[in-house]
Amino acid sequence: MVISITRRLRRARLKTSAAIELGWGITFGLALLGMTLFQGVLSTYDPMQSDLLNRFAAPGSQAHWLGSDNLGRDLWSRALAGLEWSLSAALIATLLAAAIGTTLGLVAAESQGRTRAVIRQLVDLVLAFPGLVAAICVIAVVGQGFWPLVLTLGLLSWPVFARVTYAESLSLMERDYVLAARLMGVGRWRILFGHVLPGLRATLMVMLAFHFADMLIAESALSFLGLAAPLGEPTWGNMLAESRAHLFRAPWMLFVPAAAIVLAVVTANVLGDGMAAVSRGKARGIDL
Amino acid sequence: MKLLASLLHRLRDLFVLLLGVTTLLFFILRLAGDPVMVLAGADATAEQLDALRQQYGLDKPLVVQYLLYLFNLLQLDFGNSLASGIPALDKVLAMLPATLLLSGLSMVFTLLVAIPLGAWLGFRPDRPTRRFVAWLFFILQGVPGFVIGLVLIQVFAVNLGWLPSMGHEEVSTWILPTVSLGSFLIPKLTRVLAANVAEAMREDYIRTARAMGAGHFEILWRHALPNALLGTTALIGTMFAFLISGTVVTEIIFTWPGIGWLLIESAQNLDFPVVQAIAVVVAVMIFVINALTDLGFGLLDPRIREAAEG
Repeated sequence: MVISITRRLRRARLKTSAAIELGWGITFGLALLGMTLFQGVLSTYDPMQSDLLNRFAAPGSQAHWLGSDNLGRDLWSRALAGLEWSLSAALIATLLAAAIGTTLGLVAAESQGRTRAVIRQLVDLVLAFPGLVAAICVIAVVGQGFWPLVLTLGLLSWPVFARVTYAESLSLMERDYVLAARLMGVGRWRILFGHVLPGLRATLMVMLAFHFADMLIAESALSFLGLAAPLGEPTWGNMLAESRAHLFRAPWMLFVPAAAIVLAVVTANVLGDGMAAVSRGKARGIDL
Repeated sequence: MKLLASLLHRLRDLFVLLLGVTTLLFFILRLAGDPVMVLAGADATAEQLDALRQQYGLDKPLVVQYLLYLFNLLQLDFGNSLASGIPALDKVLAMLPATLLLSGLSMVFTLLVAIPLGAWLGFRPDRPTRRFVAWLFFILQGVPGFVIGLVLIQVFAVNLGWLPSMGHEEVSTWILPTVSLGSFLIPKLTRVLAANVAEAMREDYIRTARAMGAGHFEILWRHALPNALLGTTALIGTMFAFLISGTVVTEIIFTWPGIGWLLIESAQNLDFPVVQAIAVVVAVMIFVINALTDLGFGLLDPRIREAAEG
């Protein structure tokens, strides 16, 4: 009796903390999204416009409230422009990876024998190879720019989705409702995409958020290495790379983009963790 | 017998991986650009370009080039670096020790931090301090390793002037890169370990051990932690892949002359024999590391050991 009450209380408390966490995630996520959409209003300068009279302005100065860089470009406006670049790159790469990975995972779960073996082999191989090294090799030859970057990230990072989808849908396919559908003569592929896939929704939402965070990091790393965005383009990675020559003079050139990256990644992580906590039980095995 | 079979299995995987990586790279590289243009520079004449093409065998049909290339690979001939004319593999192998040093140091540092911390966090996960630390690590997991590296340079090399930010000769130059690379790995490993320890603490054998009078310390180190560590095996493969990715960025930040640094330089110069050689060396490295970990865990875990022997 007493045990069951404390247990119930504990569960209720966990539920509240999960809901709070998810709330924070959604709030910050919406804030970032809003900042991207209303970039035109919020931006105080053209992110590419240099202002040679106000080079290396410190944060809090009159003209540039977050400071300016070695060419006098406004760091706030540049960080905002970088937000748009990063969010859209990470979003498209994530969706691409999810589409490929989920499809292959479902196919592997449904098919037997060779197809399954080939997909599993492929997944293992891609996962074993360092993603960044692969991305550098590919991008080095296909060139810089938004689309090469997004395609490379998406095409190299789907195995995570395939692996989880495969494992989860195998267990879903044992469920009674799937069996019932099968007995009623629903076709294989319709069962797969109409009955099994919806059951994966909770898991996939969580994975999307965490994958999005990973893509943000990968994108900014590649851009920092000078392999993603064209030189001078206002992206966080480029801003970090530019800051390196001026560490003594203007540390804020480092701290502004660094804070932007951390804020975006942590938001995505909180969102994913919150969703996982809220739907725990549904989304098992997601501690990736 | 099974050990041999699994080794053969792994060797087959390695072969498929190497074939896949090299084939993919070969075709992407040839599709992407004309290496001769890079080699000769902007104002080369058409005759010079043709001569260079002939010299590097780039005038033959693509399929012939591919077969020749595979044939050469089998003899460990990756061709010469387009930038310096030195055999590509030699160039990569010369850089390998620095990379191994950095990743080895960071691995040790990571384990030294993550294992005790994960054990501490997982032992009593509901205590306020530990919940705070766990939360801190969750945030830290969102900080990209290269950002930490840059901030470390800013604080310890620029502002305080305590430690050098480049070079790799003296021990003092090892500290910042090691900590920076370690910070790629520590949050994730710590969190997984803590979760595993917390789960192990709820198992029956812990209760049994406690009932038999084992102290906290003994329970944690002899019973909970070993099982939690074995639970991380699935993570190890991806961890090493992650470690190598992190090494590339860290080497760039600290101008550490390893293969990551070489990779970026060669990638920017379209020096593709070197890029190829790096991809192959990395694949082999991953294979060796994974095989060794398998073996290590096989020796540690009696269940796996017996399965392998029997």
